[in-house]
Amino acid sequence: MTDGGADSASPPSVELEAIRKRFGPVVALDGVDLAAFPGEVHALVGENGAGKTTLMGVLSGVVRADQGVIRIAGRSVRLAKPRDAWASGIGMVHQHLTLVPELTVLENVALGVRSAAWGLRLPFDQVRSRLEALSHETGLSVDPDVVVERLSVGERQRVEILKVLNRDPRVLVLDEPTSVLAPREVEEFFHVLRGLAYEGRTVLLIAHKIDEILAVADRITVLRGGRVVHSGASHAMDSGSLAHLMIGRDVAARELPQPSEPGAELVRLEGVSARGSRGEVALSDVHLTVRRGEIVGVAGVDGNGQRELALLLAGAESPESGSVQLPDTVGFVPADRMGEALVPDFDLTQNVALALTDMPKYRRGALLRWGRLRSATARLMDRHGVGAPSLDVRAWMLSGGNQQKLVVGRELIRSQALLIAHNPTRGLDVAAGRFVQDELRRLSRSTKEADGEDPPGIVVISSDLDEVLELSDRLFVLRKGRLLTVPEARRTREFVGALMLAYDGDSGE
Amino acid sequence: MAEVALLTSFLAASVRLGVPLALAALGETVSERAGVINIGLEGSLIAGALGGSLGAMAWSSALGGILAGAAAGALVAVVFAAFVVGLNTDQIITGTAITMGGLGFTGAVYQARFGLAGVPLTLPPLSSVPVPLLHRIPVLGPALFEQAPTAYLAVAMGILLWFGFFRTEWGLELRAVGESPDAAQAAGVRVRWTRFWATVFGGLMAGIAGAHLALDSGTFVEGMSGGRGFIALAVVVLGRWNPLWVVVAASFFGGASALQFSMQALGWDVPHQFFLALPYLLTLAALAGWVGRARPPSALAHPWPKTTM
Amino acid sequence: MGIRVNRVLRFGGLWVALAALLITGVVAVGALVAGGYDPGVALSALVRGAAGSPEQLFSVTLVRSVPLILTGLAVALAFRAGVWNIGAEGQLYAGAIAGVWVGLAAGDLPGWIVVPLVLLVSSTAGAVWALIPTLMRLRLGVYEVITTILMNFVAIQLVGYMVSGPLQESRGVFPQTDAISASARLPLLIPGTRLHIGFAVALLLGAALWVVLRSTVFGFRLQVVGQSPAAARITGRIDGARVIFVTFLASGGLAGLAGAMEVSGRTFALYEGLSPGWGYTAIAVALLAGLHPMGVVGVGILFGALEGGAGAMQREAGIPEAWVSGIEALVILAVLAADQGRKWFARTRSERARPAESSVG
Repeated sequence: MTDGGADSASPPSVELEAIRKRFGPVVALDGVDLAAFPGEVHALVGENGAGKTTLMGVLSGVVRADQGVIRIAGRSVRLAKPRDAWASGIGMVHQHLTLVPELTVLENVALGVRSAAWGLRLPFDQVRSRLEALSHETGLSVDPDVVVERLSVGERQRVEILKVLNRDPRVLVLDEPTSVLAPREVEEFFHVLRGLAYEGRTVLLIAHKIDEILAVADRITVLRGGRVVHSGASHAMDSGSLAHLMIGRDVAARELPQPSEPGAELVRLEGVSARGSRGEVALSDVHLTVRRGEIVGVAGVDGNGQRELALLLAGAESPESGSVQLPDTVGFVPADRMGEALVPDFDLTQNVALALTDMPKYRRGALLRWGRLRSATARLMDRHGVGAPSLDVRAWMLSGGNQQKLVVGRELIRSQALLIAHNPTRGLDVAAGRFVQDELRRLSRSTKEADGEDPPGIVVISSDLDEVLELSDRLFVLRKGRLLTVPEARRTREFVGALMLAYDGDSGE
Repeated sequence: MAEVALLTSFLAASVRLGVPLALAALGETVSERAGVINIGLEGSLIAGALGGSLGAMAWSSALGGILAGAAAGALVAVVFAAFVVGLNTDQIITGTAITMGGLGFTGAVYQARFGLAGVPLTLPPLSSVPVPLLHRIPVLGPALFEQAPTAYLAVAMGILLWFGFFRTEWGLELRAVGESPDAAQAAGVRVRWTRFWATVFGGLMAGIAGAHLALDSGTFVEGMSGGRGFIALAVVVLGRWNPLWVVVAASFFGGASALQFSMQALGWDVPHQFFLALPYLLTLAALAGWVGRARPPSALAHPWPKTTM
Repeated sequence: MGIRVNRVLRFGGLWVALAALLITGVVAVGALVAGGYDPGVALSALVRGAAGSPEQLFSVTLVRSVPLILTGLAVALAFRAGVWNIGAEGQLYAGAIAGVWVGLAAGDLPGWIVVPLVLLVSSTAGAVWALIPTLMRLRLGVYEVITTILMNFVAIQLVGYMVSGPLQESRGVFPQTDAISASARLPLLIPGTRLHIGFAVALLLGAALWVVLRSTVFGFRLQVVGQSPAAARITGRIDGARVIFVTFLASGGLAGLAGAMEVSGRTFALYEGLSPGWGYTAIAVALLAGLHPMGVVGVGILFGALEGGAGAMQREAGIPEAWVSGIEALVILAVLAADQGRKWFARTRSERARPAESSVG
């Protein structure tokens, strides 16, 4: 366990010993040991459900461990709340950014730091000069007086890191920090991380993208099923061995989509412009066609008109100008599963009914045919492998993967013509995500059935670049409300990534 | 000359009637800035009125009444906060129950103490304190600078809270808790602690407002809060959650209520019920015309921590 | 005031109600003891006053339950749709004013015309009184909690004006209206008692609302809008504004109908303080009933008994009637507490039942 540390002569800055945590009968952490040293970038990797997030919770004071010892710089500490973690010199950069959108950058950086016992002063000048110094040191620059909600996701992440650095932590913990960044931003970001480690801090990085981990980490600890299955220097590993360690078996290479022969045209957008919820221009002059039997991918960082395009294609909103032709019914898998696709406190039948109240088949005049809805739900669960003890459980009780299967199945009942999916695998573990992706691919490739309909057309709008690269027959990038075509010959990670981001990085919205 | 006297008495009445609204609304501004909307404010107000009356009688002093009223208002808010912050219950429903309970409980205590028919109490008066020099200004002086101490308290609190909100770390934490409790917690702020005490402070201020009502009218009457707790909620909206504007908005409503007396003095023949309804109607009109421009704290009325149910 | 109303409201069933009643009972008895009263005497007075004789049961308890059931249904329906109508009190008064006005103006017509007319006009008046908060919410984004409460105060002043102005009794002495003529009064349900057909109407409306919520497309959509406006709009393609409009007005109409039942079935005249706060009590009724229409009927009768017995409690045990509104408030708090308990229990159980993928995070 001691090979490869950048400075293994000094005591570990963070040391976890035999950490155990149970949630009911589920053992989330089963005796985890971990040691990270000053000056190293230490990656903590594993699949969703491996225990990474729980371990982070333990370190940041959100989750209290049942057993085990946490030592910071050799001293045993008790981390019962986030305040304790801050006080111990641990700085957390959460996966879901935790800035207050309504406050300015400066206020966010100052938040939570008490310079006097009763908090009866606010030393803005001090914070401002410290922020300037930090920006200079790290190269992370941002206007201190701008309100955070006006910043892009990448900029917000910078603020998040500056906020943490303002407290001068010995240990910097980052939970999936690259999930909101485009490839070029990721490179810059890793450069900053290396710099922070070079200053003698410990950088603890939670991640699941294998290439990124190998690119930045000095050492790697692999979690699986709540246990540490490996810990060692990164130069001793390659992507194959790391994937094997994470998943516990070899990963079969996946076949690329067969080029398909698209059928009848389903969607035609011409010169479409739309505004977002705050009245800003979200889509401008978008042209797009979708045919049966093809998957159209739209890559891009969320917040560039993705939501508006999805709602428009789903028929849930109308454009400000331009013409939109859609089929009569459209299936829609929104990005916010629990907020927009499902009603968490409804049972499964009610959640299926939610999308089908307009279909004559499930109505008798003003009445709903609950019997038919129930059997349709049962069939759907069977066909799409939704794991649930019964139809009567509430949607919130299902795992994310099963929720998404339910949503996809339901939307296919609604429309056999067109399916719009926005970030369909976000938040799912690898296996569930693949299941959903395979389902989408299978649908678009299904041959003519007896009743004569061609396979549906599918639009996948996603910020996960790999997902759209892998799934789509035709690929676009949506950036700042404009839809850019990716030529077939240039469908590479690098080119598409650059296209997603092709702005100078500082230009806000 | 009669007109000038009328104007002076109108202004004085505006301030007098605006003070309880300002005090209660300032307290509510604090709790709403922390994300807690207290529909039970009316309960704190009436408890403050009764507590203030009992305290003033017990100690034969107006100050004793104010302190007892503050304590009673805060106590009611403790119950409210225990539910909405401690148990994470719905703020609207809990607040409605607290108002109902406050009105019922004070009625029960009053009747138990003074008999079912009730007796008019005689409370030590809330004597006005003239501000040196300023009270000699013609017209305005007697109106604005010969007021009860609670009036000066309201203005001072307005300024103090403004400073607190925007110029102290305490205020920054309070605002963060009301806008985004998750982010505040991650930054190490004690969200529930902040919400709890902000709410109790709101009840304390409403209690002072209630005590002012009782002392100002010299007696306690069941249900004498008369919906001022709800008007105070609207005053917070009109004041855009900014203490200084809240004081201004409260004065505006004080003026609306004071119209009643002036119009009658002028001999206008309008049913007095119209003037009694006027503050509510004006509040409705003001909400309709004003709201588009104000944004409440994002987490207002949202229980925290969020659960999946 | 632009608060995003996206709460999930589902108060759970029978066990929560029973637990809440138990908590209320224990706290109330404790409070009575602390106040120096004999809980035994109080309780027996309460029971005798509520159901000690057929006269008490039919003419007091069940008569009192009519406005409670109707306003309770108004609140339950609104809350199910995420409409925070705290204005049943004002809507009830609007209905009472309109009802008494029709009763006085059209009292010469035969009963089979006047009575339906009174009920129709009253419920319309209740809906109209709810229209202002409805439009303010839908058009201007003003939160209805405050506006509906404000409208209550306006309604109370309007009643004061009406009974001492345009509708004042012909003698012009007391602030009240003349009694409406016999043809404008509701027929009795059980002759020899004071129980009028309003009780049957309330039961039928409870059953009808139950069917609407359970079986109709509109009833389902209403609950989707109440549970998750975003899912309603994006997945359900439901016109939330229309659902809220219809529900809010229907809620006001039910409360207005309660006002008509009072003036046309019990008091036969309008005066200030006609309602002892039924519009607020209705919230306790609706919550204790778990927002279930048939539950509202049952709890409405229970609260009718409580209010009916309160008078006897005051006479026989010297306990001020004001205790009753304290107890009603206690009921709401007890329901909230018991419901939090239910949720906690459900979460714990479901964490045990499944591999907790999402609860780990």
